[in-house]
Amino acid sequence: MSTLLEVRHVSRSFHTTTAVDDISFAVQPGELLGLIGPNGAGKSTLFNLIAGVLPPSAGQILFDGKPVTGWKSHDIARIGIARTFQIPKPYRQLSVVENVMLSAFLREKSLAGARKLAETTLADVGLADYSGAPANSLTVGLLKRLEVARALAMRPKLVLFDEIMAGLTPTEVGVMTGFVAGLPARGITVIWVEHVLYAIMKTATRMVVINRGKLIAEGAPAVMARDPAVVKAYLGEEMVLA
Amino acid sequence: MSTLTQLVLSGILIGSVYALMSIGLTLIFGVLRIVNFAHGEFLMIAMYGGWAFSNLFGLNPYVAALAIVPAMFLFGAVVYWLVISPALDKPHLVVVFATMALSIFLQNAALMAMTADLRDIPPIFNRSITIGPIFLKVELLLGFLITILCTVGLQWMIKKTYLGKAIRATVQDGEAAMLMGIPVPRIFLITFAGGSALVGLAACVMVPLFSVFPSVGLNFVLIAFVIVVLGGMGSIEGALLGGICVGVMQSLSGYYIAPAFGQMFFFVLFLLVMIFRPNGLLGQKGAAMIGMNE
Amino acid sequence: MSIAIPASISSRRIPVLPKRGQISWFEIVLLVISLGLVVSGIAPSLQDVILLSFLFAGLGLAWNIAGGYAGLISFGHSAFFGVGAYTSTILLLRYDISPWIGIWVGALIAAVFGSILALICARLRGPFFILSTLAFAEVVRIGALNWSSLTGGPEGLSIPPMASLAGMVFASKATYAALMLGYLVFVYGITKGLEASRFGYYLFAIRDNDDAASAAGVNPLLGRTAAMALSAALTGVGGSLFAQYFLYLDPTYVISPELSFQFALLPAVGGLGTAIGPVLGSFLITPLSELLRSHLGNAAAGLHLVIYSFGLIVVMLYFPAGLAGALNKLTRWKPFS
Repeated sequence: MSTLLEVRHVSRSFHTTTAVDDISFAVQPGELLGLIGPNGAGKSTLFNLIAGVLPPSAGQILFDGKPVTGWKSHDIARIGIARTFQIPKPYRQLSVVENVMLSAFLREKSLAGARKLAETTLADVGLADYSGAPANSLTVGLLKRLEVARALAMRPKLVLFDEIMAGLTPTEVGVMTGFVAGLPARGITVIWVEHVLYAIMKTATRMVVINRGKLIAEGAPAVMARDPAVVKAYLGEEMVLA
Repeated sequence: MSTLTQLVLSGILIGSVYALMSIGLTLIFGVLRIVNFAHGEFLMIAMYGGWAFSNLFGLNPYVAALAIVPAMFLFGAVVYWLVISPALDKPHLVVVFATMALSIFLQNAALMAMTADLRDIPPIFNRSITIGPIFLKVELLLGFLITILCTVGLQWMIKKTYLGKAIRATVQDGEAAMLMGIPVPRIFLITFAGGSALVGLAACVMVPLFSVFPSVGLNFVLIAFVIVVLGGMGSIEGALLGGICVGVMQSLSGYYIAPAFGQMFFFVLFLLVMIFRPNGLLGQKGAAMIGMNE
Repeated sequence: MSIAIPASISSRRIPVLPKRGQISWFEIVLLVISLGLVVSGIAPSLQDVILLSFLFAGLGLAWNIAGGYAGLISFGHSAFFGVGAYTSTILLLRYDISPWIGIWVGALIAAVFGSILALICARLRGPFFILSTLAFAEVVRIGALNWSSLTGGPEGLSIPPMASLAGMVFASKATYAALMLGYLVFVYGITKGLEASRFGYYLFAIRDNDDAASAAGVNPLLGRTAAMALSAALTGVGGSLFAQYFLYLDPTYVISPELSFQFALLPAVGGLGTAIGPVLGSFLITPLSELLRSHLGNAAAGLHLVIYSFGLIVVMLYFPAGLAGALNKLTRWKPFS
């Protein structure tokens, strides 16, 4: 099977600090890759490099074997990489279904077609009842679902989830975890950045751990939890392992 | 060579005066996170005040400042109370339209009261100070001195006094400041009124140098915004640095490029800075790119 | 496999936004009344006010495409108005090209100016965006004033008042009123079409959240530039029509901050980002301002602006959603959605 996403020796520095330092890893189709690390490890920067929000200072990113290094985020979106935002960024003045339609336009050019795809996706994440509601009336938990719906309505090959569990109640976390775990079976590869570790430990097929901008460990979740480098990186942080 | 020195020196002096005019704006922007589009009109009103004192009582504007500065403080407080404060909890566009409307209101009220004629005051000092081959207007030197004093004084106030600390806390995080027991609404009021008072002081320094007319504010407000962007939002020493840059550029371009260009200078400069340097001289977080969404 | 919603949440009453792009009965009534006003040809003194209300409603709508739909608040639109007016007039006076063609050339050039402005402001948001539009219009204004060989400089340009269909000069005000109504309906149609199109949605997305739009594959800069170009082109058309009606271009009026302010004012008062808003705004404000202007005249230059800037402050502070929003709240049947 050919590699879906390949990150090759990617670095990114801001002024004098290096947020991402020579990181390489690859993602195979059908994987659910957990990307974790303590606060300030460089997760967000790495995420933004893949999503095209920032260009890397050095290194290469390949998607489906094609170099996409330095592409703008709207071009990244068009080749099949979807993302969510850690702090939800809804179109506040639009209704929930219109929010999702904007993503659906990538696959369905007509208004009616996009609306249909959006409604299906909303039903999928449990927001069907809210379809006509203004996005600014949703609670944080529902906004996170809207983020997920918007990403999935793009029918992406790869989806990047950025802390979709933060701010959710334990029940909601459970439901959402189950949902994400089902995505690879539907042909959607997942990279999942998460601070709520127990959720990701249960579901990820593989983990990449970074600290201080460097990749420090890579492997199965159960192995990672016992890896001395990982445990050391998390020392002094509350490590929530279920 | 002496021409160049002359141009740069006058540029620095005039730039410091521009800086004085921008400090109020940068403070209000930094603390309240709103832009007062009527800032230029505040300046215009205060300049008319300076002109009136000179015309009616024969007082020079440096003396008139004793009345104008407190009057502008009060004026700022009233505007804050009537227009700004009710708009703060509404979408950002409300503040934009409300202060924009206020600027048109003041401009046209001035047009009705004073007509469109240019007003000048008679020269205060009839001679320039000469250093070798270089001539410097006394009014400009005084403006420079007042600006430096003002900058130093404000810096001291912000670093050392309780009010200054409260202002800095509000700049960093308004909500946290509120939780720490800082009366944020009052800090807003004081900053807005204080910023207006500073504009009043700037107007007194500027009356001997520039003519007053109802739409004079537009030119100056654009310079003030250029300075805020160049120097960084909320930064007083940044404003001084930015002001001096603008002054020197104006002085040099007026001499070496076409003088006819002078009419367009402020506008073109503004656009050029917005295109090439929206992050400011020192690459601070871009004041120019702070959005109105969210 | 889907996520279930806890019953406690789903049983709550959920607010619903109205659908977009549909023509309401209110719009049809308004159109019929407007047509009636044109056809009946009532008092000539009123004709002036009526046709200007139509023209400014169209201009408000054109501004609204950038300001209300794409979130590009511009206080420099009089530059596009002036470019349109000057282009069609210069083509007519110098090259004897009919304004029926000149209008579209003017629209095209205005669109180019609009794109330039959008690119200049590519990275700017909020107050700095607004100030750049103001500065841009000032540069265009000073440029037009100084390029006397082309624009007639401070004297402006006059169109010979000889009625002819090809020259788009008419003897009767009713014909002008029909022309202006045609313009209004044209811009209104484009606005409605925008509301119900993919491009329109892209603009909403860019207005509400740049980053999210980009993540959904929308190119924000492209969308902004297109919106500004379209808005500028339609404003340019209004400028040409204005020139054909007054037969004189006063350079201190056609490109001025006051005029730019007026374009923005109409949607702001009527309801930003709605199709009906600028029309309501113009039907309210244009007659008011004409009334003030004709009664107060030059005796009190600036009074009409004092009055409506004051009005705008009150409207913005107490009815931030504009007339359309206020009426929607007042009446349960939401005629202005």
